[in-house]
Amino acid sequence: MTRQAPPRWLQRALVFLLAPRDRETVAGDLLEEYREEQAPRLGTLRANLWYLRQSVSFLSIRSAGGPPVKAALTWVSVATAGAGIWLAVMENILKHAGYGVRTAVAAAIVAEALGTLLFLVLDSRPVFRLIVLAGAAALGALGISAIARNVSGPHFEGFVLIVGCLLVAQAVMTFAVVLRAHYPKAV
Amino acid sequence: MLGAFEQAVLLAVWKLADDAYGRGVLRGVQSALDREVAAGAVYATLDRLEQKNLIASRLEEGTPVRGGRVRRYYRVTAAGVKALNESKAALEQMWRGARWPLESNA
Repeated sequence: MTRQAPPRWLQRALVFLLAPRDRETVAGDLLEEYREEQAPRLGTLRANLWYLRQSVSFLSIRSAGGPPVKAALTWVSVATAGAGIWLAVMENILKHAGYGVRTAVAAAIVAEALGTLLFLVLDSRPVFRLIVLAGAAALGALGISAIARNVSGPHFEGFVLIVGCLLVAQAVMTFAVVLRAHYPKAV
Repeated sequence: MLGAFEQAVLLAVWKLADDAYGRGVLRGVQSALDREVAAGAVYATLDRLEQKNLIASRLEEGTPVRGGRVRRYYRVTAAGVKALNESKAALEQMWRGARWPLESNA
């Protein structure tokens, strides 16, 4: 006998959103509830919508600072550090006017990216957490400023736009991860 | 003192006793609060309560209806019972001297 079940892609999406520890147990709980209560009572379509709603609830609660965002933040931090190093190297090769200040800014970008990576590994002390948050705020502001100047300026540079977006993404994700991990609000 | 939602989850686990696994807890919380509750909120709260050592969990074999996936059963620890009792006492202490339902004193 074929049992009713939510669409396979939806089940996979739920599993993706769950922490490894919960993948089997939570997916099993929801499948059981779907089969024994929701589908017989609501019909397939509405039961699927129920399953979708429950899955989305993990997106909003877990992924805001949960494993998927942490993983993404790790890669964004690596990319940001790489971009900062590349900027510093190029500034020192080209040596345009004001390159010293821009090199210092690039070094700060690298420091914040490496600090975020360290934070992700160590999940450490409140002082470090505040430094990472302050750095993220500065990176976000720098990113927004870079994007605005690039879009409104006379010379559009794709690389600057990419770096600006990276900085903003890193800032937003850092806030999500840090606040979720250390200041969880009462649900 | 525990938050209201934490109390609802912890109480659901306590009431279910040996049958306290995720699905039952979700239904118990919905029944106690008389509204549909997001599963994500319940499981996040269960995780948090476990981190605080207010509940403990164990895994047991799954059934065919859940595709053989294992179940995680929860039980309230002694610290959890203490926290629930303290929360109730704190609430009662807070309400002492006030006649319910309150009337506007403006």
